[in-house]
Amino acid sequence: MDETQIILEKYRDIVPDFENFIESMRTPQPYWLRVNTLKISEEKLVSRLTDKGFVLKRYREMNAYQIASMPVKHPGATREHALGYYYVQDLASMMPVLALNPKPEDNVLDMAAAPGSKTTQMAQIMQNTGTILANDINIGRLKSLAANVERLGTTNVIITRKNAASASFGTRFDKILLDAPCSGEGTLRKAPPARVLREKDYMANSKMQKEMLKNAAKHLKEDGKIVYSTCTFNPLENEEVVRFGVETLSLKLEATKLPVPAEKGVREWNGITFESVADSVLRIYPHRIDTGGMFIAVLRK
Amino acid sequence: MQFSENNSYREYFVERFGVPAEIIEKYHFYEHGRNIWAYTGKFIKTNNVECVGVRALRVKKNIKPTTAFLRVIGNHCTKNVVELTNEQRTVFMRGQKIEGTFSAEPGYVVVKHGEDILGCGLLTRTGLESQIPGKYREEESWV
Repeated sequence: MDETQIILEKYRDIVPDFENFIESMRTPQPYWLRVNTLKISEEKLVSRLTDKGFVLKRYREMNAYQIASMPVKHPGATREHALGYYYVQDLASMMPVLALNPKPEDNVLDMAAAPGSKTTQMAQIMQNTGTILANDINIGRLKSLAANVERLGTTNVIITRKNAASASFGTRFDKILLDAPCSGEGTLRKAPPARVLREKDYMANSKMQKEMLKNAAKHLKEDGKIVYSTCTFNPLENEEVVRFGVETLSLKLEATKLPVPAEKGVREWNGITFESVADSVLRIYPHRIDTGGMFIAVLRK
Repeated sequence: MQFSENNSYREYFVERFGVPAEIIEKYHFYEHGRNIWAYTGKFIKTNNVECVGVRALRVKKNIKPTTAFLRVIGNHCTKNVVELTNEQRTVFMRGQKIEGTFSAEPGYVVVKHGEDILGCGLLTRTGLESQIPGKYREEESWV
């Protein structure tokens, strides 16, 4: 049993098509990019990168391109990247923003925003109007966030450094993205873990995520929308947090559709049942369309 | 230190670079020490603010525009814009000086190459000095 399987074997009973799942988790994850249409059209950027030897495969009619091959070691080693014409972002990681569906002039809080992939994606959709308050607590990650916001020419973002679990953000928001810090199992294809996590680690993450969700609910306008997402598979960090949101914070769970294949949530895990939320949350698995993993739930006040 | 709004900096972009008033009015300018930030959202009064939009100017003895903000509004600039050839572009993006004369007023200029706004240059009597920050300078391994 290799390290990938040691980490993920516990999910054998909840991940559909488990053998293919494990196999995909052992293979390197392809790069995807999103064109920054604040600065350049999709057509022009694709043409420029293609002329340089990139082979890009567009996903459906979306602004999402898989890099099938490239003439450089890293997809950021181009003039176009330095000019802010695109952002290297996994297709699955684009989905929480699509679920949140920000509109121009919205007032949006991105509670754990670094390094800024979703912040800049929202700014692009909002055409640099409205307001995004992008927050993170880690100073190193904040630097990445600020650098990406600057590189992409995103002018509707205020960046703060606060503890998302307890801080006041000064106002209430139409929409809140809580892309919560998590155990990150959905990104194992990109980076192996520093150590194998234990049950108590998942429980500690779950506790912190619940505190963040509680603070998110406090900052949401009536009828506002929260998207809770993680890039991990553990139900304690996913369905359990959403169950807390519904049963303790009185948030309403809303079913959503995504333009990628996604499975319904887990119904039971280690004796805890999630019947009340399982049908309305979504899990994106890496073996479906060759991406990272993602969990997404849409909640309303 | 607070971010305080001061939209008088709009004038700089109108006068120096010929940015139309209706374009620059979309931006609200905030002072924070020597840095001036350009922002298109609604300001939220809260603490622990690190950035408000994109840093647009640095004020010391003179006012110096940032490459990041010139890349945002460069397409609207009608004055003091310098267009580079392919060879000049490479030199400029490596942070070096291009000797020669250019048709713009001495001082800070917007530097372009084709459709790309490359950033800020300083035009002197002897040539164009690149003001591209280290993080945006091109490396030989790039394509």
